[in-house]
Amino acid sequence: MKYAQLIRLLVGRELTLRYKRSVIGIGWTLLNPMLTSFVLWVVFSFVFASRLPGTQQYAPYLMAGILLMTFFSQGVTISAESIANNGPVLTKIYVPPQVFPISTALAGLVNFFIGMIPLTLVCLISGQSVAWTMPLVLVVGVCLALLTAGIGLTLSIMYIRFDDSRNIVNVFLMILMYFTPVFYPISILSERLQTIISYNPLTSYLDVFRWAFSNNATVTLFDWGYMLSTSLISIAIGTYVFKKYWPRTVAML
Amino acid sequence: MAVIELKNVNVTYRVLMNKSGSLKELFRDAIKGKARVVDYVALQDISFTVEKGEVVAILGRNGAGKSTLLKVLAGVLPPTKGTSKVDGKIAPMIELGAGFHPEMTGAENVLFYSALMGRDVKRVKERTPAIGEWAGVSDHMDFPLRTFSSGMVARLAFATATDEQAEVLLVDEVLSVGDADFQEKSKARMHQLITSGAAVVLVSHDMRAVLELATKAVWLENGHAKMIGNPEEVVAAYEAN
Repeated sequence: MKYAQLIRLLVGRELTLRYKRSVIGIGWTLLNPMLTSFVLWVVFSFVFASRLPGTQQYAPYLMAGILLMTFFSQGVTISAESIANNGPVLTKIYVPPQVFPISTALAGLVNFFIGMIPLTLVCLISGQSVAWTMPLVLVVGVCLALLTAGIGLTLSIMYIRFDDSRNIVNVFLMILMYFTPVFYPISILSERLQTIISYNPLTSYLDVFRWAFSNNATVTLFDWGYMLSTSLISIAIGTYVFKKYWPRTVAML
Repeated sequence: MAVIELKNVNVTYRVLMNKSGSLKELFRDAIKGKARVVDYVALQDISFTVEKGEVVAILGRNGAGKSTLLKVLAGVLPPTKGTSKVDGKIAPMIELGAGFHPEMTGAENVLFYSALMGRDVKRVKERTPAIGEWAGVSDHMDFPLRTFSSGMVARLAFATATDEQAEVLLVDEVLSVGDADFQEKSKARMHQLITSGAAVVLVSHDMRAVLELATKAVWLENGHAKMIGNPEEVVAAYEAN
């Protein structure tokens, strides 16, 4: 593919640029989820730790949630912004505009995998071992990258056409965070709320991730199916919307 | 065979009535049933061809549609109607340095900019020292671009953009950047690129440069091609207007 080289450069830039001016540089990618998880762990472990069923551990449960949620919300916001940010390039040089959101999703995927190093540590510290199903996290990562890229592609068009859409997206992402069992066990909720939350696709992604990584959740076939289908639907809608509206949108850049 | 072929190209922008588009306004206007966009015709029925080795100059006042035409040729803006066909690698010499990032080093920026223009990364890596030297910024190539002076950035952008000969050259003014010495150098390189056999589209307000370089001229007015023909006649008519 002609633009593979460009995508590789873009992913590299995405990964290094954010922390370029800091002393430990890309080390923040390792440290960030650990610090966030630690703070939330201090706050919530009293309340929620004892409510997890069986052999499940709160610290890895929480950290897996944060890793996945960061991947999703950062991926969506950055990739949605990427087209508008690269407007000066896109109005002068012909580059398939999709390379920008796609590179962002890929960079998120790399960060996600890097984040599993500290997650492994936390697992071991809390007395769990990494499960033999671990390689399946690859599937979760790829699905999440597709989901993110699809939503990012759709939103990037909206961001250019409607200035205020980014505010709505931020609020929506916050609501979504609470509707995903990131820091609470789903079992503490009433039956009705549990049903609502199970309709959130991210719940399935998260359950599969926790289960695959260290057997820290239970999954059903529904979770797998829901994860695979939403990721494919998302990327399909994203590419379609983008193709359809881009010719008119580029004139607004 | 023509390298560039424009056939009845129309470009219509949809301009929002109010300054910024927002969901709030969309919602409000939808309720009131108000039309919120007007069509603005930027190009109308433009047809011409550019052969290999030809230099076509585009003349016209500000707002005549010159930039829009360059965007169509660059493949960035799809025509609303008609077709634009361009064969071969395009080198757009339009506001050089688009995509430069202040936090990346000079060398990284050269690589990135070249990749955006579709060049082979491996070959560019080998060329980077030569590009830096030509731009006169060899000592700075490993420092972030934010430490460059604006003249240095412009020189590096020019050196990178003109490093490879492309089949199609789109030029927005015969650029000359930097101090007096470099202006001479860059102007000479630009002339060499333009006259070295590529298909060239040149937008310029400099009639001397047009007469010197062009083999054909197109006069745009309000999105129409008012006159297409040999440069002497078109320039004379344009200047008489």
